[in-house]
Amino acid sequence: MFYSIRHVTRFQYSSPVSESVMEVRMRPRSELLQQCLKFELHVTPRARVQFYRDYLGNTVHYFDVPGQHNRLAVIAEAVVEVEAPRDIPEAVPMAAWDALDAMSASGELYEFQTASHFAQPSAELHKLMKELRVARRENPLTLLRGLTEKMHGAFEYAPQSTRVDSPIDEALVSRRGVCQDFSHIMIAMVRGLGIPCRYVSGYLHARSEQESRAMTLATHSWVEAWIPGIGAQQQGLWVGFDPTSNCVCGDRHIRAAIGRDYADVPPTKGVFKGRATSELTVAVRVLPTDAPADDREELVLLPAGNSGSSPLADQHWEQMQQQQQQ
Amino acid sequence: MTMTGDAFARRRFPAPFENYELGEPFDEMFHASGTSRPYYQGIYDFLQELPAEELRLHKQAADQTFLHQGITFTVYGRDEGTERIIPHDLLPRIITAQEWGKVEAGLEQRIHALNLFLRDIYHEGRILADGVVPREIIYSCKHFRREMRGVHVPKGNYLTVVGTDLIRLPDGEFVVLEDNLRVPSGVSYMLTSRQVLKRIFPKLYQACGVRPIDHYGQALLATLRNLSPEGRPEPTVVLLSPGVYNSAYFEHSFLARQMGIQLVEGRDLVVHDNIVYMRTTSGLRRVDVIYRRIDDDFIDPLSFRRDSILGVPGLFNAYRTGNVTLANAIGTGVADDKALYAYVPKIIKYYLGQEPVLQNVETFLASDPVERRHILANLDKFVVKAVGESGGYGMLIGPHSTREQQEEFGRKIVEDPRNFIAQPTISLSTAPCFVEGGNIEPRHIDLRPYILYQGERSVIVPGGLTRVALRKGSLVVNSSQGGGSKDTWVLN
Amino acid sequence: MDMLSRVCDSLYWMSRYLERAEHTARVLEVHLGLQLESFSAASQRHWQRMITSLGLEPPEGLSDPELVQWVCFDPSNRLSIVSSITFARDNARQVREHTSSEMWEQINILFHHVRSHAVQEDWEGEPADFLRSVRDGAHLFQGITDSTMSHGQGWQFIQLGRYIERVNATSLLLDHHFRHFEAEGAETINFEEHSEWIGLLKSLTAFEAYCKVYTADLKPARVAEFLLLSGEFPHSIRFAVDQIDTVMRALPEAMRPAGNRPARLAGKLRAMLGYTQMDEIAPGGMHDFLEDVQRQCTQIHNAVQRVYIDYPIDAAVEA
Repeated sequence: MFYSIRHVTRFQYSSPVSESVMEVRMRPRSELLQQCLKFELHVTPRARVQFYRDYLGNTVHYFDVPGQHNRLAVIAEAVVEVEAPRDIPEAVPMAAWDALDAMSASGELYEFQTASHFAQPSAELHKLMKELRVARRENPLTLLRGLTEKMHGAFEYAPQSTRVDSPIDEALVSRRGVCQDFSHIMIAMVRGLGIPCRYVSGYLHARSEQESRAMTLATHSWVEAWIPGIGAQQQGLWVGFDPTSNCVCGDRHIRAAIGRDYADVPPTKGVFKGRATSELTVAVRVLPTDAPADDREELVLLPAGNSGSSPLADQHWEQMQQQQQQ
Repeated sequence: MTMTGDAFARRRFPAPFENYELGEPFDEMFHASGTSRPYYQGIYDFLQELPAEELRLHKQAADQTFLHQGITFTVYGRDEGTERIIPHDLLPRIITAQEWGKVEAGLEQRIHALNLFLRDIYHEGRILADGVVPREIIYSCKHFRREMRGVHVPKGNYLTVVGTDLIRLPDGEFVVLEDNLRVPSGVSYMLTSRQVLKRIFPKLYQACGVRPIDHYGQALLATLRNLSPEGRPEPTVVLLSPGVYNSAYFEHSFLARQMGIQLVEGRDLVVHDNIVYMRTTSGLRRVDVIYRRIDDDFIDPLSFRRDSILGVPGLFNAYRTGNVTLANAIGTGVADDKALYAYVPKIIKYYLGQEPVLQNVETFLASDPVERRHILANLDKFVVKAVGESGGYGMLIGPHSTREQQEEFGRKIVEDPRNFIAQPTISLSTAPCFVEGGNIEPRHIDLRPYILYQGERSVIVPGGLTRVALRKGSLVVNSSQGGGSKDTWVLN
Repeated sequence: MDMLSRVCDSLYWMSRYLERAEHTARVLEVHLGLQLESFSAASQRHWQRMITSLGLEPPEGLSDPELVQWVCFDPSNRLSIVSSITFARDNARQVREHTSSEMWEQINILFHHVRSHAVQEDWEGEPADFLRSVRDGAHLFQGITDSTMSHGQGWQFIQLGRYIERVNATSLLLDHHFRHFEAEGAETINFEEHSEWIGLLKSLTAFEAYCKVYTADLKPARVAEFLLLSGEFPHSIRFAVDQIDTVMRALPEAMRPAGNRPARLAGKLRAMLGYTQMDEIAPGGMHDFLEDVQRQCTQIHNAVQRVYIDYPIDAAVEA
């Protein structure tokens, strides 16, 4: 599937501010079954946009607006091609748990196995795990499929019920939340089971009325869990689960950035100088589109300065990413 | 040769040493037999001839100088922002050329290995893949900066200024107690106490043949300039301080003056299009190298702690791009983690294929179940340290502790094993100190030399900060805990 | 070496706050002295006028001694003497390595001195003694500054702060005084008012200097001329403006848009005061004249901030 994405973010300040500095994580990732064919970022007031790739392969754009301004707009436009994964089985053998424990002991995916800023275990979380009977009783993949469904059933999607910086306990108690809460709660549970799990920030092409409702926040998020023994050469795969939409991710989920949780990959993150409050409005449109007419070349963005080094750090990481591509 | 404690104690010394007791620890001035070590003979004779009153006057004069020069540290928790002089002892501590040679070689080797280690864990992670250092110890360290993964730092030098704490074992051997790889402080005390001592004991100083340390400022500046971003042959170097309310502000201002560079705060700097500038009355001036005395957490509110008002928004991205150099690099604290310390000998061997010149103190990790059991069974004998603390806080000194304290630490260790290590209690060496009442008595000391890392080789000015536990019998030398300083004389 | 904007700003404010503390102490001291000799309703009005001419807005219902306490010590009064000296010291502390140690020592002594008085619950000290010690302390600081600190850019900003504050404070004081007496339309001074005119001169340490020029014969027009236009007397407005202009000539002209604005504004104000004759100020026109001086002075302050201290980054980068 080809999609065109237009993501408009506007900040309106209560009084003039200056020296805004901002990072943007919106560019769809290019890897495996997803390729970003075109990406443009427009900023008003005019600013020189630079970018880098972090070690997880996320593209981070950044810029600063030194002069006085009352508003700031960031418009991202992308064309992306997504294919659905074909090789995800219904279940994996119980022995997959041993592989997960071995992975755990090696510490390779340490950051996706321990608590993070928003994905913290708590008494409320354990209560929910008990209630949903989340335990290593079945194989990891079946368990995760079931958990996605249970999450969907146990929580009500309620826009604006929580703020971006709400701890998960708020949603755990009220059983209402937005996609971020769904994702954070699921991440905390999955990591608690000893399965590496990460947060994905991105876009969803909604097919139904119900799904568009889930998109009122415009951007979407879901989780990816590491399942050993599947994929090409049984090297294991990151499989996406979307507890908000109750599905395993296919060709409607467009991945922009991955991290431990929302705190690592907010679509925009910035600071400014001035005594002002800011009001944020976001609009996102994801439309199926035809394949771009001719060139599949991306818009060439000049890299900032001389940071020519590999964005991928730990060699194991690099290998894992490549294996996924096969 | 062994001697009983009584045999030490019974030995009588002439005034003003009549209360001097020798014990198990290595004494810097005296052999166990009670005779002066040859290189201390000059001082020993000098002190015996010096009228007690004169020593007291010297001490007063020195205190005055420290106060007038503003060689002070700020005491926290008072709105007055009171400044105190750092307690210091007049009598110099002497290190022979031969001993220093080994210290120098050992530090050069150790810091080089630690720098290679930092480069490795923030890039390929070979040492982790090879299982020499467990990944968990790195990734769970609160000073590990994932943002630094894959970031290129100029010349691959993560470390620039290092202060390593050494102690002397009873057999006289120097061993490493702690590496300080983030923003080590105290070098201003080393430099100013030398100035004061030269003024007070000029003849003695000359007679001993002491190696100079005055070039530290120039050497530091040269080291920093050497890290200039590509294409900036005449770099502007600044020192970034958290400001006047920081306890080490005197040192920041002192070093900036020594180097003739601007002392800036975060609010003086601004980043535009990835370039760092400082605001001057004649306009924006580009900044190339920042000797930062601010912790990682506070350096850039965009990338690290959002609530930091000390930092500069966008600085980290300018740094990542290579348009400005930070010294030390971000994320070096992972290599002075107290748990990682135990692995340093292996790290030296791994990268350099050499045996460590300077040994570690034997260290047990509470995160290892077997070692934890050993620690818990011997809490009355060990020194237990919280991994995340510094400055002598969060420490249990087993032999000097109560049962309740031991039990409390036992509970803490079980709760959070990754956060604790234990080492056998070592009696730091003792050196003669001028005490209240005009006598000279032994007090425990350590040594913190300052290393300016420049790649394979380092500049280490001969000397360092000798820290003294001024309370009798105390082993805690940290200035926040009643410690003081001494001038350190490395002989030609 | 270039001076950091922040450092110059701190030196500027240190100096302004100290000038303000000194001014308040001086005016209050003189008027407390006057009060000893009068007890009429006029004296009460005069007291009120003095308070407002210091730019103060005290809370309702304070007795006279309470009011003195409030002006001297109240930390909630941001313009109290103790507040001003605290702000001055805070600024000095930020830039210790740019001042001489003698300066720091003196401002510290002054700070501890006023604070030791301020912390007493029921202050029963003699206000005049206290006010004189503040005045002396501030004078000493200025003397120490001029004789121990290099007269470079930092010192220029200290000068600037002192004289901008002086123009502001003095013109406010004159404005309130002349507004009151112009309303009464007198060209000579009657006996009852005599002490108030002496008070005005004394609160600007101008009485002796005035007498040397005009003898002790007080005439409103002459007092006005002396305090506004004397080119030699340090507390006259013209003198202070001359100093501001001198500073502007000493500072490097910034290579930025409007970089010469501070110097232009200072030159303009200097010329205005240098070439104005008393008879050109329309009868009853003192207020407008002084307001104009204050407005121009504020413009200079803003221009200095905009060009040297808090300039917009975008313009500076392009320059």
